[in-house]
Amino acid sequence: MARMGMVFDLKRCIGCNACVIGCKQENSLPDGVFFTKTLSEDYGVYPSVKRVYIPTLCNHCEDAPCEKVCPSGATYTRDDGIVMVDGEKCIGCGSCAVACPYDQRSQVSKAMLDRGLFGEGQLTDFEKQGYERFTPGTVIKCDFCSNRVDAGLDPACVVTCPTNARIFGDFDDPDSKPNRVMRERGGGQTPLAEKNTKPKVYYIS
Amino acid sequence: MSNTDAPLVGDSFKLGYRFQNFWDVPMATAFFFGELGAGTFLISMYFDFVAGMIFGLISTGVGKPLFHLTHMGVPAKSWRAMLRPDRSWISRGLISIMVFVPFGILVVLDQTFGWSGGGAVGKLIQLIAVAAALLVMTYQGFAMSHSSSIALWNTGLMPVSSMAYALLGGAAVTLLLGSALNSLVDADLVLLQKLLLALLVVTLAILLSLLHAAYHGTRGGQQSVTLLIKEGFSLPFYTLVLGAGILLPLILLWLGGSALVSIFVAATGVLVGFFSYRVLIFKAGVYEPQISFAARLGLH
Repeated sequence: MARMGMVFDLKRCIGCNACVIGCKQENSLPDGVFFTKTLSEDYGVYPSVKRVYIPTLCNHCEDAPCEKVCPSGATYTRDDGIVMVDGEKCIGCGSCAVACPYDQRSQVSKAMLDRGLFGEGQLTDFEKQGYERFTPGTVIKCDFCSNRVDAGLDPACVVTCPTNARIFGDFDDPDSKPNRVMRERGGGQTPLAEKNTKPKVYYIS
Repeated sequence: MSNTDAPLVGDSFKLGYRFQNFWDVPMATAFFFGELGAGTFLISMYFDFVAGMIFGLISTGVGKPLFHLTHMGVPAKSWRAMLRPDRSWISRGLISIMVFVPFGILVVLDQTFGWSGGGAVGKLIQLIAVAAALLVMTYQGFAMSHSSSIALWNTGLMPVSSMAYALLGGAAVTLLLGSALNSLVDADLVLLQKLLLALLVVTLAILLSLLHAAYHGTRGGQQSVTLLIKEGFSLPFYTLVLGAGILLPLILLWLGGSALVSIFVAATGVLVGFFSYRVLIFKAGVYEPQISFAARLGLH
């Protein structure tokens, strides 16, 4: 049994947002929808001010609150630990979205898909073929590019990152890249650990 | 900047608190009609007041589903919401409504035509209707409290407040309809007024406890309560939820006695406050910052 997850190396992240663009392109995400964001946090007092970049995405929690509250069975966890949403079963009630402590879900509307990236009635061929995967009204989220994972590839955000700040792999495999990095760097932190969702995303610094 | 003084950041790429905007006015309206309907049914049933019971059934059976469908992203598939009662309060709630409405109708028919003759079958149907009504009154609170993501909601007081507001709204509607239709005897109206006064005090106590617990619980709760009592939502909170919804009815019922005008204004105030509470509790819900490395890693 695999347990796919990701490690973010904060020392490597430069906040270029190439991952965000790579993700939007791979998943044909409509305007305003992001499966990953690189947040910035400023701290200190002028003139000694610093900024840290914090990449975020769905944490594919082992004890996923979104899956627990889903009334239609649309949210489920694959055998490899990737938390998925079945667009055919989703009713768009938003329960999963309010249950996710990480605000990592988006609702895709028909207006959003009609409007496209460049305005009403001006969908590009890229958008036309990409938007076919979405059911209007349903909730969508990062699935670690499950189609790429199934093909033995890393998620788009990982391969796009120019500094290798994102490390993806199987946490059940002791020799996987994320496990090796975590061992070398003395472990990592999970986001909002106090929520007890057991995220499969770790931050190292 | 530390995690404790993180800003509200909207949809920006900054670390900070973010408003939940998935459940908004349509969902709040659905919750309002569901709780109000079940509460009105129960209170009216106690007083054998059929018009109130019918109002409650229409509120829960028509008003609530209507606004749920308005909120739902894929209304045509909303029947699927009942598929996971083993884990989802939304599923349990939907099933409870599907039990409450038909059994409630049977109770109304029994009250009107007396078909059960006061026998065991009639009592059993009443019992099922009451149990389902209690679940309809509280499940929304459980659905909210069950989720740890929004600190303001993540408290056992949420279902308690749902029940308190449901009974409060139910008592207000029953008193108003009973007075307006002249369908209740004076002794019942006096009892209803006393019940409404007591429920106003109890609801106020629960509301203050909820805010106190959230403020002293987590950072997210503190942020939400600050929004409600000091910042963006303080005006509607003080004027509508506390003023119109609690204090005005308290004063009117205390001083105005059983005058229909006083009862009308007091009941309207209760409903305005109840609805405003439902909307504002959604609006003030915030997600906490995911992680703060400046604070946690000592990068100050």
